Amino acid sequence: MFTANSILRYKQPAKSYDVIVIGGGLHGLAAAYYLARHHDLKRIAVLERRYIGSGGSGRNTEMVRANKRAHETLPFYKESLEMWDGLSAELEWNLLVQKKGLIALAHSDFELASMRMQGDSQRRAGIRIDMLSPQEIKKMVPALDVSDRTALPVFGAQYHPEGGTVHHDAALWGYAKAAGRLGVDICAGVEVTGFLIESGRVSGVRTSAGNISAGKVHVAVGGYSSEVARMLGVKFPVVTIPMQVMTTELMAPFLDHYVASPRLHWYTQQTLKGDLILGGQLDPWQSWNSYTTWEECSERVASILEYFPSLAHARVVRSWSGLCDCTGDSAPVMGPSGIDGLSLDVAWGYYGFKSTPAAGKYSAEYIATGRVPEKIRHFGLDRFYTRSRVREIII
Amino acid sequence: MAFQINCPNCGSRSPYEFKFGGECKTVPDPGADLKTWCDYLYFHENMSGFQEEWWFHARGCGDWIRIRRNTVTHEVAPIDAVAGQ
Repeated sequence: MFTANSILRYKQPAKSYDVIVIGGGLHGLAAAYYLARHHDLKRIAVLERRYIGSGGSGRNTEMVRANKRAHETLPFYKESLEMWDGLSAELEWNLLVQKKGLIALAHSDFELASMRMQGDSQRRAGIRIDMLSPQEIKKMVPALDVSDRTALPVFGAQYHPEGGTVHHDAALWGYAKAAGRLGVDICAGVEVTGFLIESGRVSGVRTSAGNISAGKVHVAVGGYSSEVARMLGVKFPVVTIPMQVMTTELMAPFLDHYVASPRLHWYTQQTLKGDLILGGQLDPWQSWNSYTTWEECSERVASILEYFPSLAHARVVRSWSGLCDCTGDSAPVMGPSGIDGLSLDVAWGYYGFKSTPAAGKYSAEYIATGRVPEKIRHFGLDRFYTRSRVREIII
Repeated sequence: MAFQINCPNCGSRSPYEFKFGGECKTVPDPGADLKTWCDYLYFHENMSGFQEEWWFHARGCGDWIRIRRNTVTHEVAPIDAVAGQ
């Protein structure tokens, strides 16, 4: 583990800034980085109540992909996926970007047809998508059981070759270091407790380290967004639900791709280190507790074992969960908050990690210019009142 | 297990027997304007702490019940009321 001093110096916040970013996770740090790099606002602080990456940024499953469905979101996810490629050089920090390819299994003709339809949408947006037969899948993933033995046999798969993984801690430290080099004050242990609002315009924040004034305030607090909404006296269109993840002991390399079953709600990949990351679905109820449960772990493991029988010996060594603030239309809320100077980058559910570069870039553009960029224009809070919710159907 | 829910009909049971029904809200007047209905449908208090919420005992008595649960600690307060008899 890096110490704060060797990599990055946490700062005490000053009394006033051009921009305050609330939330020291990937989205907040990325927004601060792109603000400092591309825009004129130079005095920027990132306020984090715990330590950087303590929320979803340190709890995700490292997956990056663009195989969504809605035409409103596809160009955004495509750009985000492409941005990861150049980031290691740009941030001068190896993010371990590995575009290993994502294989999403279908267990029926209906699912295959649905994937073909989704693939057409994705290809129209310029995203490479291929369909695989069970024999082709078996060649790519020898350990996967594609026989009729399984309860829901594999009928085929959708292959998303540009999908893959990025090391989440590396991404976090990369953005934090780069933002720090550009003069951003990264303040850990500073909790925002309220907002200073004067005649409809934000003028700063109340914090555990006193009041700090700012021309602009940006909210990037991940799964905790409704706590910020309560400070503002409003509601956000989200429900916070945990998602649980497990990892196994280290094993010799045997799995080259990210394999997922959307139908059975599991996905798995073998990291460069050799452990398998086993991911699942959202918990069945609302919770703000990053717990893990025997029921979720055992169900997930049983389902994955059905298709990877050779993993029967593998031991699960760790489990964790992260909080996802989910909207009903599987799309985030970005842009105006209804209060001048206060911008939002929230409601990222379980798809926040892959979106980091583009969300940071366009949040910064919106903060600096006050104009909503084209690629995030469908993500506004107003869509819930104008019958223009995003028509996303893919998890 | 995360916590237990004390069903007034069936006693203390696993939450996996239930279907979570979300936070309790006040249904708007049928003649309310579109904004009120959108607020009701899409926007949530999403409380971190105690809230009143609906649970459907799908694998039990089949009743919708209202409980007060702390969404941070999962502490469940005593039952207030039973609906949908």
